[in-house]
Amino acid sequence: MFNLFKKKAKFYSAKILNNDKEFKVSKGKNLLAAALDDGINWPHKCRVGSCGSCKYKLIKGKISPDIDFGYVLSFDELNDGYALACQSSLKSDVEVEIELKK
Amino acid sequence: MKTFYVNARYLIVPLMTIATIFGIFLGNNFVWLGVILFGFNTIIDTLTKDIHLRADFDEDGNSFGIKKFQYAVMYLMLPTFIVLQIILAWRLFHYTSAYPIEVLSLFGITYQSGISGINLIGATLSAGLWAGLGIIYGHELSHNRKEGFFISRLIMSLSGASHFTYAHVYNHHLDLGHEDDPATAPRGRNVYHHAWLSHVGQSKYSFDLERDKLKKQRKSFFSLSNKWIIGYLYSLPSIIIFVWAGGVIGILSLLVVWVISNFLLEALNFMGHYGLIREHGKPVEHRHSWDNDNVFTSWFFIEIGRQGDHHVRGETYFWELDDVDAPNYGIGYFSLFVLTLIPPLFRKFTKELLEDWDRNKATDSERKIAHQIGNL
Ligand code: FES
Repeated sequence: MFNLFKKKAKFYSAKILNNDKEFKVSKGKNLLAAALDDGINWPHKCRVGSCGSCKYKLIKGKISPDIDFGYVLSFDELNDGYALACQSSLKSDVEVEIELKK
Repeated sequence: MKTFYVNARYLIVPLMTIATIFGIFLGNNFVWLGVILFGFNTIIDTLTKDIHLRADFDEDGNSFGIKKFQYAVMYLMLPTFIVLQIILAWRLFHYTSAYPIEVLSLFGITYQSGISGINLIGATLSAGLWAGLGIIYGHELSHNRKEGFFISRLIMSLSGASHFTYAHVYNHHLDLGHEDDPATAPRGRNVYHHAWLSHVGQSKYSFDLERDKLKKQRKSFFSLSNKWIIGYLYSLPSIIIFVWAGGVIGILSLLVVWVISNFLLEALNFMGHYGLIREHGKPVEHRHSWDNDNVFTSWFFIEIGRQGDHHVRGETYFWELDDVDAPNYGIGYFSLFVLTLIPPLFRKFTKELLEDWDRNKATDSERKIAHQIGNL
């Protein structure tokens, strides 16, 4: 009942565990765009979900895929919690692992 | 005021599509309205070729585009294009049932019932040209999340081209400027040849994509998860309506609509990247697309001509795309389209532009590839 009146968060926070970086992801923005806006050197190429270079591993939290990841990620990667940052909308605060560019 | 102006200027296609539908409904010579509007747009586009405006932003760099409004318009284009097909099918029914040609009235609007053979051709050409413009919405929505992507598939399926949505995102955006991208036209190819090769190539890509995905998911190719098959099934209602309304003539008419609309789609692909080269694996940059950004083209084609920016920031809404100093044809899509129809003229027009690209924009490796191709 009270949930009805609870305001939806305007942004969530994303933490990159293996890099100790944290940044805000505002509603309507995908994870990659928010990271790049924050000056984080997140690997990327196409930004439309086709190249796989923005791949990350979701350790904690919930995301909603904007497109089907199954075309780019393997069966095992999907099972291991990998996702594409340029096609991820956050549904909660998240903790992720990626390989950042030096 | 500025917000109104920025948002309203993208309504040319919706309004002209509705006018085309209304013309087919009214009958008689009005069925040619869609063809006339297309010709009129070509003249306006040519006359305004020298007016180039940037996208509008406020002092903080925010766009004036209202996302909810622009999405509502794009979503509403799906029922609009469906009505366009239905009204053509209705005219086919009049023709094949030999309805007498007479003036009738519906809700106080007088229209001509029945249709002559020549006017049926006019109605079919009008519908084909405006159905073809569905690509601009199919394209924009292909870069959007679930619902938008699905509507893109449905809009494209009205032209029998639902494979486009997957091929565009997974193939064209990734392999642009390289021979792995069927939608990029290499130097020397003409638009007619390209339309065929690109259409078949993209469908094959989408077929392979589904086959590989289903293999990865350990599912059969003949499954409900096969988007290549399902996409073509979305086109079934169009086929059924046209067969029902016009039998063999109905099929012929739908075929003409599909050929015209797919040709327009592939002509846009052709113009977007003709002759530009990218080394495999190297990032897509602004120089790998041609911009067409004169004022009429920008507004009419909802900024689809800002290809340079679009291919680097694929997630960006059309009303936020900007001038990025990509190679530029200097003229709009309508004028350029006329040139593409006459291949020697188009090659002559692009010769200098490509030479300039080779000299001033290409990397050494790209220049080397251009030399090897050498076919201007
Ligand atoms: S940047 Fe290519 S899949 Fe995300």
